[in-house]
Amino acid sequence: MHGIVEERLIVAETIEEARDALRQGRAVLAGGSWVMRAPVRGQALPERLVSVGRIAALSRVEVEENEYVIGAAVTHFALTEALRDVPQLTGLVTAAATSANPAVRRVATLGGNLCCVDFAASDFAPALLACGALVYLETAQGPATLPMAEFLARRAEVLPRALLTGVRVPRSVRASAHQRLPMRKAGDYPVAIVSMAICGGELHIAVGSVEPIARRWTVLEQALDGRTLNPERAAELAATLNDFKGRDGIEADGWYRREVLPALVRRCTAALLSGESK
Amino acid sequence: MSTTFQLNGETCRFDGDPMTPLIDLLRCQRFMTGTKAVCREGFCGACTVNVEGEPVLACLRPVGLLEGLSVMTIEGASRYDAEAQLLQAAFERVDAVQCGMCFPGMVMSLSKFLRETPRADRNAVKHAMVGNICRCTGYERIVDAVMECLAEAHSAGGADV
Ligand SMILES: Cc1cc2nc3c(=O)[nH]c(=O)nc-3n(C[C@H](O)[C@H](O)[C@H](O)COP(=O)(O)OP(=O)(O)OC[C@H]3O[C@@H](n4cnc5c(N)ncnc54)[C@H](O)[C@@H]3O)c2cc1C
Ligand code: FES
Ligand code: FES
Repeated sequence: MHGIVEERLIVAETIEEARDALRQGRAVLAGGSWVMRAPVRGQALPERLVSVGRIAALSRVEVEENEYVIGAAVTHFALTEALRDVPQLTGLVTAAATSANPAVRRVATLGGNLCCVDFAASDFAPALLACGALVYLETAQGPATLPMAEFLARRAEVLPRALLTGVRVPRSVRASAHQRLPMRKAGDYPVAIVSMAICGGELHIAVGSVEPIARRWTVLEQALDGRTLNPERAAELAATLNDFKGRDGIEADGWYRREVLPALVRRCTAALLSGESK
Repeated sequence: MSTTFQLNGETCRFDGDPMTPLIDLLRCQRFMTGTKAVCREGFCGACTVNVEGEPVLACLRPVGLLEGLSVMTIEGASRYDAEAQLLQAAFERVDAVQCGMCFPGMVMSLSKFLRETPRADRNAVKHAMVGNICRCTGYERIVDAVMECLAEAHSAGGADV
C-alpha cells in the first residue's frame, strides 16, 4: 500500500455527502442485510461503501397533505410502527410487517429492499406498485422522480450512480391489502405475492415474486373494473386471465408460482373488502 | 477507520475491516463462541445478539455500523439479563435443548419479548420465534418453556404496576 489508505466505509450524515460518495464510486450501505450476504452468494463485497443509515432526512415517515412520504432508510419495523394506524395503507404495512423475520425487519430498509436489483421476492415492490407510489432519487444530474413501474424496469441501469431518497404514496389510496405465500408459515421468501389497492376509485392489482420483476395485473384490473368486487368471482377471472410466466427458483417451480395466484387473489380481495390484511 | 462500541458492558475497539461481520469479531477475535454462525444469511437466527437492546443478526451486521452502540451477546445476557436467565433455566428444566446450536439465538430473541410482552399467548410466542430455526426439536417444548417463563414472571410480579 502506498500513501494514505482510503477508508473502506464512510458514514454520510447528509444526502449531499452520500451523493458525493456515490460520485466517487462508492456503493451504498443501508441496513446491510443484503450486502452482507454477498459472500454466501459467491460475490465480493463492494470495495468502498458509504453508509446512509444515519442521514436524518432519509429516516422520516411524514404525512403530508396529498402524500405519505417514506424515507429510504426507514426500516421495515419503523415503517410498521409509523403507519400501523393508517387503515388505508394496510397493504403496505402488512408487506413491511410480514416480510423476512423480525431480526431482519429491524435493520432492513425500504430503500435497500427496492434497490436489490436481482431480488424478485420483494414485498414492497408489489405493495408500492398497487398504491401508485413514486420513487425519489438523487442522481448526478440532480433529483429525479420515477413511477414505481419505471423505477423497477430501469433500476439496474440507474442505481449504480443514484441514491434512492424515498417514496411517496398518494393519499388517494382508499384501501389496500397484501397477501403472500411463503412455503413455511413465515420467515422465508414468498413464492408469490398479490397486492391490491383502491386508488382514486380505481382497483390496482400487483403481483410479486412470480416473474423476475413485480408488475401490475392489468388484464385482471380491467376485467374487474366497475364490477362489484367478490372474492370468488375475482379468483375465477384470475384463473382465466393468468398471463404470468412463473420463474423457476429454489423455493418453487414457475408453474406453481403461477398456479397459486387465483387463490391469493381470492384472499387478497376478501382482505381488501374486510379492510384487514393478514 | 476504527470502531468503538460497548460489548457486554465493556469498551471494545476494533481497528480491522469495518465490513467484518460482527459474528466473526465475536467468535474469532473475542472467542465468544456462544453466538453461533450457521447459515450466515439471516435465515436461522443462531447468531442473534442484541444491539441497543434489539435482537439482530450478527452475521449481517458489519462492525463499522456499530460505532457508539451497545452490543450484548449470550455471554453477557447470561450474566446481566434476568429474562435471559429465566429462559435458560426453563429450557434446561423442560429438557428442550438437544444439540444446542439454536439456543443462544433463541434466548437473545426471546428475552426482550419476555420483558415487553408479559401477557403473550402461545401464538405470539411462535411469531416472536419465526426467525429462529431449530433443526432438532419440534419447537413445542421450546414454546412450553417460554410459556412457563411467562407464567413465572406473572406470579413473581403479581399484578401489573
Ligand atoms: C433472511 C432474509 C429473508 C428475507 N425475506 C424477505 C421477504 O420475505 N420479503 C422481502 O421483501 N424481503 C426479504 N428479504 C430482503 C430484505 O428485505 C432486504 O435484504 C433488505 O430490505 C435490504 O435492505 P438493507 O437496508 O439491509 O439493504 P442493504 O443490504 O444495505 O443494501 C441492499 C442493496 O441496495 C442498495 N441500496 C440500499 N439503500 C440504497 C439507497 N437508499 N439508494 C441506492 N441504493 C441503495 C445497496 O447498495 C445494495 O445494493 C429478506 C432478507 C433476508 C436476509
Ligand atoms: S448465522 Fe446469522 S442468521 Fe444464520
Ligand atoms: S437443538 Fe439442535 S438446532 Fe435446536
